[in-house]
Amino acid sequence: MSKSNSSNKISRRSFLKGMGSGILSTATLTTGGLISKEAAARILGPEGETISGRTVITLKVNGKARRVAVEPRTTLLSALRDRLDITGPKEGCDRGHCGACTVLMDGKAVLACMTLAVDARGKDITTVEGLSQDDSLSPLQKAFVEKDGLMCGFCTPGLVVAATALLKENPNPSLDDIKEGLAGNLCRCGTYPKVFEAVQTAAKIMRKGG
Amino acid sequence: MTGWKSLQDMVVLSKPLPRLEAPDKVAGRAKYTQDMHPKGMLYGGLLVSPHPAARVLNIDASKVRRLPGVKAVLTDVHPTGTVRYAGEEIAAVAATSPEILEDALELFEVEYEVLPFVADIESAMQENAPRVFANRSNIRDARVRSEGDVDAGFANADAMVESEFRTQVQTHSTLETHGSMVYWDGDELVIYDSTQAVHGVREGIAKFLDMPVNKVRVICKHMGAGFGSKLQPGRYTAIAARLAKEADAPVKLMVTRKQDFLGYGNRPNSISKVKLAATKDGKLTAFYAKTYGTAGIGTNAGIRLPFIYDIPNWKHEHYDVFTNAGPARAFRAPGCPQASFVMEQLMDELAEKLNMDPLEFRLKNDSNPTRQKEWRLGAEKFGWKRRNSIPGADSGRYKRGMGLAASIWWPGGRGTKATMTIYPDGTLDIKCGTQDIGTGTRTYMAMVAAEELGIPMKRIRPMLGDSNFPKSGASGGSTTTPSVGPAIKNTAERAKSRLMELASRLWGVPVAELVWNGGGVQMKNNASKKLDWQELCQLLGTDPLEVHGEWVEGLSSRGVAGCQFAEVTVDTWTGRIQVNKILAVADCGLILNRLTTESQVNGAILQGISYALLEERHMDPSTGTMVNANYGDYKILGAKETPEIEVIFYDEPERGVIGIGEPPTIPTNAAIANAVYNATGVRMRELPMTPDRVLTALASRELAGKED
Amino acid sequence: MVNFEYFEATSLEGLPQLLGNNRNENVVMAGGTDLLDLLKERILQPKRVINIKKIQELHGIQNGRGLDIGALTILSDIAKHPAIRKSYTVLAQAAGSIANAQLRNMGTIGGNLCQRPRCWYFRGREYVCLKKDGSKCYAAEGINKYHAIFGGSPCFIVHPSDSAPALMALGATLEIYGPNGRRAMPLKDFFQLPEDNLMFENRLAANEIITRIRIPEPEPGTRSLYIKFKEKDSMDFAISSVAAVLQIQGNRVRKADIVLGGVAPIPWRAKAAEAELQGKELSDAVIEKAAAAAVSDAEPLDHNAYKVMLTRNLVKDALLRLRSA
Ligand SMILES: Cc1cc2nc3c(=O)[nH]c(=O)nc-3n(C[C@H](O)[C@H](O)[C@H](O)COP(=O)(O)OP(=O)(O)OC[C@H]3O[C@@H](n4cnc5c(N)ncnc54)[C@H](O)[C@@H]3O)c2cc1C
Ligand code: FES
Ligand code: FES
Repeated sequence: MSKSNSSNKISRRSFLKGMGSGILSTATLTTGGLISKEAAARILGPEGETISGRTVITLKVNGKARRVAVEPRTTLLSALRDRLDITGPKEGCDRGHCGACTVLMDGKAVLACMTLAVDARGKDITTVEGLSQDDSLSPLQKAFVEKDGLMCGFCTPGLVVAATALLKENPNPSLDDIKEGLAGNLCRCGTYPKVFEAVQTAAKIMRKGG
Repeated sequence: MTGWKSLQDMVVLSKPLPRLEAPDKVAGRAKYTQDMHPKGMLYGGLLVSPHPAARVLNIDASKVRRLPGVKAVLTDVHPTGTVRYAGEEIAAVAATSPEILEDALELFEVEYEVLPFVADIESAMQENAPRVFANRSNIRDARVRSEGDVDAGFANADAMVESEFRTQVQTHSTLETHGSMVYWDGDELVIYDSTQAVHGVREGIAKFLDMPVNKVRVICKHMGAGFGSKLQPGRYTAIAARLAKEADAPVKLMVTRKQDFLGYGNRPNSISKVKLAATKDGKLTAFYAKTYGTAGIGTNAGIRLPFIYDIPNWKHEHYDVFTNAGPARAFRAPGCPQASFVMEQLMDELAEKLNMDPLEFRLKNDSNPTRQKEWRLGAEKFGWKRRNSIPGADSGRYKRGMGLAASIWWPGGRGTKATMTIYPDGTLDIKCGTQDIGTGTRTYMAMVAAEELGIPMKRIRPMLGDSNFPKSGASGGSTTTPSVGPAIKNTAERAKSRLMELASRLWGVPVAELVWNGGGVQMKNNASKKLDWQELCQLLGTDPLEVHGEWVEGLSSRGVAGCQFAEVTVDTWTGRIQVNKILAVADCGLILNRLTTESQVNGAILQGISYALLEERHMDPSTGTMVNANYGDYKILGAKETPEIEVIFYDEPERGVIGIGEPPTIPTNAAIANAVYNATGVRMRELPMTPDRVLTALASRELAGKED
Repeated sequence: MVNFEYFEATSLEGLPQLLGNNRNENVVMAGGTDLLDLLKERILQPKRVINIKKIQELHGIQNGRGLDIGALTILSDIAKHPAIRKSYTVLAQAAGSIANAQLRNMGTIGGNLCQRPRCWYFRGREYVCLKKDGSKCYAAEGINKYHAIFGGSPCFIVHPSDSAPALMALGATLEIYGPNGRRAMPLKDFFQLPEDNLMFENRLAANEIITRIRIPEPEPGTRSLYIKFKEKDSMDFAISSVAAVLQIQGNRVRKADIVLGGVAPIPWRAKAAEAELQGKELSDAVIEKAAAAAVSDAEPLDHNAYKVMLTRNLVKDALLRLRSA
């Protein structure tokens, strides 16, 4: 049956509005095991959960549970930027082409502009803000600073997050690995050579346990 | 005024220093216009014309106004009602959420009378083509420039080459789109703008909204790049201001990525029919060019021919052509990459005809003393001698080749003012109404002051990007560093004098008996009598010292020379050109910050490669709209296209500061094209050199070969 | 995006009924990387978006006698899977060539097969083309440098999927769940040309979803590879790609499966090339002939004749590399 545990969740039965209250009794029948699961599903619709209209959801961002009002069509990027004021992730294209919105989701680099906010519930989301504790930058962020892996800096949060994921997966990347890992991040200013240097430098430091 | 110290004496300047805002940028703390979000802010958006040519007959916004959450609507944003390119602003709305904004934009009902259009330069030039401006021909009058006697020049030549070259329309495509966040503070308008010119925007918007200049303030602390597309005030800014007024709330209006492609700047294309001639000992005698370019509905689609070489007799006729497309804007070295594509290839063709090495041929015809040295230095470092002596001689699928090309730039520094406030605790602020567009301005402001005053960088807070700060020009034309650098130095010098006056009063000795030493003051003849920086500042008591300074002649200069060498591999099976390496010899006088300067040169080169190999605006012939107005279909160089880059700085500190942002983007495309020829024996006469063009060119040569 | 209702399904049962027969009302979302693009451009304006990611049985890779991949398996898991890399190389390479690292962490293999074409006229709202019930194909006379050289008319899209040619060359079969339960469909029967159906690129019914993808175990002596040519190497759809699976016994080709991507509205089986290879030794001459045969019936448009040369060369390259593999 539908696992309705969050306040605003509406069970699958809400689809069948217009079918009258008979639905409820059918559901009762099902739990009683009188008809098959499949037959029940045909009448009731599949198991699951519906969200429609403006809804408050909880997102776990940088270790904190954040409540945020979204619509089903709200992207994760918009939820972060427009509602939670987490503006590290940038909107460069809103279409998956530029990587400026890259965040980590359960440790993997993904694009926040191509993810629905409602689909990010229950996931561990880390934005660039979550990579540094208080004022201390991660070794990779430090390397970006020292090697000048940025100019206007608009693409930088996305590159930093993508490179963080890259190094987690491959602590000793070759130049080609780095290029492959960052191929989805567009930098119009052309910082790539310095970014490559930064990632290589950070990799070295991190391997030494820095 | 004193000059710059010698390089050896410099402690901070000309060193490679990380930029000061870098920690904020890598941690995601730096706030760009796109990130602004004051309480109660509304989301503004534009409705733009889908038609390249149309008359707006009626705009019905009643449904928009009825949508809950819509707070302001404008239907009079188009100045004339006659649309001349797809992407022109037609209406605007501000709403309480991005979703409502999106829905609202769907609800406008606009009635257009669709008019005939010309989508590209060829169709615009045809007889009987629809006119972009009813009472003007699409082809503007020729701009003719000449020197010497061209006919005689050609008559006296031993060898001539003649050809036609084409370059494409390139869009700036800055990662942060154009846009502003504005709010009204009483009758004062505060604008956060992604701009290259806070003062320019202030003046422009004040005029546009018919407001006193001092009631408009423009702020830009961080911005997602410009490349020339953000030099002017935007209509969107004025629109945002009107929306904000109507709604009585802050409004952020960032144009969409697609709108950015359509309406907010591009580099014009070019068609060049050219001839170049020389004597058999390799001296150029004459050049002739007839060129066309379209800046859309704008003008200035010029191409800076004859480029850099010494040609005694030349003539250049240029025609701007109107098309129904967004207006061009200045784009990193306007008119120059096109010129290098044409001229540097012609030079190679002529050299081949004369049986000369391209480098040798250039040395004979380039009298610029800096470049004479740079050519040799670059050739030596690059191993120019390793190059194929016979173009296309490599057998097999992959062919390697080398090419070279020159760069040039003109402007230098100009009026900039700055203020320095020194606090009794020894910290200081520098304020300058310039902006840091990713060029490291903020950082060298502090470096110049630190060097001049002899104090640590961390005591200095450089402040920019605010029209309340003393005036500086737009960050364009590579003028910023030669303008701002000297202004800061001058301000620091004046601060020093003022502090020395304090010491002279304290000690009761004339200033002439004092010297500045390592951040403090001492008696010339008694080194033990001194005040360090902290002690000096304490003399201020409770009143900070405020000093004004400005750009002065003598610390900067104009004129840039440089050259680049490219090595490529051409995959003759796929037509892919891979750039293996670019070596740039960059001349930039006194380098203020080696690290950020190197980044700028890298960036210019990468944009040059991207222009050479990938970028192209495609206009659909049947609708007159851009089909690839997104970052996927408009292809911009990424990580995998980035080659090895070696930058050799040709230091000439005695020339003072000169800008470097633009010149290194000029030669890249031509160096690559020449390398492709050296690799394959096939000349690429059209940009970008995409696989389709390369494969087609290779195939037609093969066919031609078979016919022989 | 229009304001749709979002449904997160946790089981397959009932899904076909919910999906119903109107494709434009209810749409399935897997990784969403293609769907969101269509929603944002309002090419699709559904009433309901049904997220199927929570349905457990659609996940996971099983490798035993053959390969069984859940439709929701993300592309990066396929690209990195050691057994797939080893024995189904063409698939691992195809998956690894898609988009970029971030999108490979999001996009699923099922979504990859069902993704809609990337033709800029189809994706641009302002062009009401044949696929959007309009009256003309803008590409036919417009800017068609990336369009079809095979099987185009009347609509010249190319199928954008990289995994599809690979899976087809490997002889994959889809498991499909619909109102009547599960059924199997060979991937070779899945796609359809515009002349058969202008609106949809595959034969999946509106109320069906792909649940799993099964690939038979390769015969001994099988080697495979995927070559994808992108205009922009960092990230791009295929201008042309070749999925090649050869079973070689002794010195001879026992079986050749060559499927081209990015050149036709469906993954395009190069039958004539396969025939050229059948039973032959991979000599230079045979390879040249097969490569030429692969494009012998190409019908390029105004701006894409280069794709014919390119494709021929890619086939040749693929065969040469497989020969020395
Ligand atoms: C910038 C960018 C670059 C890309 N580059 C490439 C590339 O190089 N090569 C390539 O092949 N693709 C590319 N893609 C396309 C595509 O998004 C991905 O390949 C991805 O695999 C799609 O999977 P998804 O799970 O995200 O699909 P979704 O977006 O969730 O779905 C896509 C379509 O398939 C349907 N669907 C999804 N799953 C199922 C199912 N199990 N049963 C029935 N229908 C289903 C959906 O209803 C929808 O119509 C790119 C996309 C982007 C945004
Ligand atoms: S904003 Fe998400 S990829 Fe560009
Ligand atoms: S630093 Fe400007 S886009 Fe990358």
